Amino acid sequence: MKWLELLTVAGATLVAAVTLVVLYSLGVRLTAIAGDRQVAAPGWVRYLAYACFGLSGIAVLFGLYLIIPYFSG
Amino acid sequence: MVALVIALALFFDFTNGFHDTANAMATPIATGAIKPKTAVALAAVLNLVGAFLSTEVAKTVSGGIIREGSGGIQITPDIIFAGLMGAVLWNMITWLKGLPSSSSHALFGGLIGAAIAGIGFHSVNLETLLQKVILPAVFAPVIAGLVAYICTRIAYALTSRHDPETGSKLTQKRGGFRTGQIFTSSLVALAHGTNDAQKTMGIITLVLISAGTQEPGSGPQLWVIAACALAIAIGTYAGGWRIIRTMGAGLTEVKPAQGFAAESSTASAILASSHLGFALSTTQVASGSVIGSGMGRRGTTVRWGMVGRIALGWLFTLPAAGIVGALTALLVKTGIVGVVIAAVAGTGAVLYMFLVSRKSEVGHHNAVEVEEAGQAVRWAKKKALARARAAERAKNNPKDPQR
Repeated sequence: MKWLELLTVAGATLVAAVTLVVLYSLGVRLTAIAGDRQVAAPGWVRYLAYACFGLSGIAVLFGLYLIIPYFSG
Repeated sequence: MVALVIALALFFDFTNGFHDTANAMATPIATGAIKPKTAVALAAVLNLVGAFLSTEVAKTVSGGIIREGSGGIQITPDIIFAGLMGAVLWNMITWLKGLPSSSSHALFGGLIGAAIAGIGFHSVNLETLLQKVILPAVFAPVIAGLVAYICTRIAYALTSRHDPETGSKLTQKRGGFRTGQIFTSSLVALAHGTNDAQKTMGIITLVLISAGTQEPGSGPQLWVIAACALAIAIGTYAGGWRIIRTMGAGLTEVKPAQGFAAESSTASAILASSHLGFALSTTQVASGSVIGSGMGRRGTTVRWGMVGRIALGWLFTLPAAGIVGALTALLVKTGIVGVVIAAVAGTGAVLYMFLVSRKSEVGHHNAVEVEEAGQAVRWAKKKALARARAAERAKNNPKDPQR
C-alpha cells in the first residue's frame, strides 16, 4: 500500500493551500487597512498588499507550471 | 462496433463534462463571484485548453484494474462498450438526483462489471482496485476537507478586523476574496480538463488498438484529442445545474472567503495528487473541500443529511455502474442483436431521464437561489416524481431570492 505517497499528497496539499490562502488573506487584509479613511495608513501598506497578491499569483503560476508537462518535462 | 464505442465514449465525455462543472464553478456561482453563464463558459474554455495540454493520463487509463495486455486478458471493444454504458447511465442518474459523484469511478465500475460478466471474476485485479479506487475515495474528501477547514480558519483569522480600542467589529472588507475565486476556480477547471478528458482519450485509443487500426503502444491521435476536448467542453458548457445547486447551496452556505479557501484546497489537492501519483477524484476532493470550509466558519451549518446522501451515492457508484456494465456485457455476448438491444435500451434510458429532468428544470436562472428545491430532490425512486412536482412548486415561488 502506498501510505507514504498518501501522506506526501496530504502534506503537499496542506502546504500549497495554506501558502495560497495566507498570502491572499494578507493581501485582502492589507488592502482593507490601506483603504481605511479614519486612520491614515502609511503608504507602504498598499504596496505590501500588492506584493502579497503578486506572490499568491506566482504560487498559482507555479502550480500551472507543475501540471503542464510541456514545462516540467 | 468500433464506431459505436467511439460515439458512446464521446457521450460519456460529454456527461463527464456537465457532471463535473460543479467542481470548479459551484462555489464562485454561489458567492456571486462570477455570473452563472460566464462561469460555465469559462470552465468550458479551460477544459478545452486543459484537454490539449497533456496526454500523460490517457496512457494509463484504468491501468491494471483489469488484467489486460500480454499474458493477461485481451480486452475487447464489446467489454469497453458495456463498461461505458454502465458509466453513462450512472452519470445520468446521479445528475438527475443532483448528486456529485465521481465520473471516473462510474467508468471503473462499468468496466469492472463488464469484465466480470464478459470474461470472469479472475479478470479483475482486486489489489489494484483497492489501491486505486477505494482508498482514495475514503481519503480524498478527508484530506481536502481538513485542508479546507484549516484554510477557512486562517482566512477568517487573518482578515477579521476589530477596533483596537473599543474592540468592536470594523467593516471586514473581504470582497477581495471574490476576485480571488475567479482565479482559483479557473485553476480547478483547468486541472479537471487535464485529468478527465484524458480518460476518454485513453478509452478510444484502447478501442482503436484492440480493433487493429492503431499501433499498440502509441499515444492518442490528434482527432481523438480534439474530439474529446470538444465533447468535454460542450458538456461543461451545458452545465450540470442540478449538481451545481447541490455543491453551491445544498451542502452549506458559501461565502467568498470560504469559497476561496475551498477552491485553493481543491486545486492544491488535485495538483498534488496528479503530480505525485496518488490519484484522487476531482469530485470527491471538491465535495470534501466545500464541507470542510463549511465547518471552518463559525455560524455556518453543514447539512449532514445531504452529505450522507452524497456519501451513499459514492458507495453505490462502483456496484451500480458495475451491474449495468455486466448486464450490457451479457447482452452484447449474444451477438449483433444483443448489441442493438443494448444500444437502443441505453439511448431510451438516457432519453427518459432527460425527459424526467424537464419536469423540474434546473437552469442557470435558478441553480443556486432556490435551496428548498435541492432539498426536495430525494433518493427514493418512487417518490422522485412527487418530489419533482414539489420542487417545481418551490421553484415557482422562491422563498429567498438572494440576488
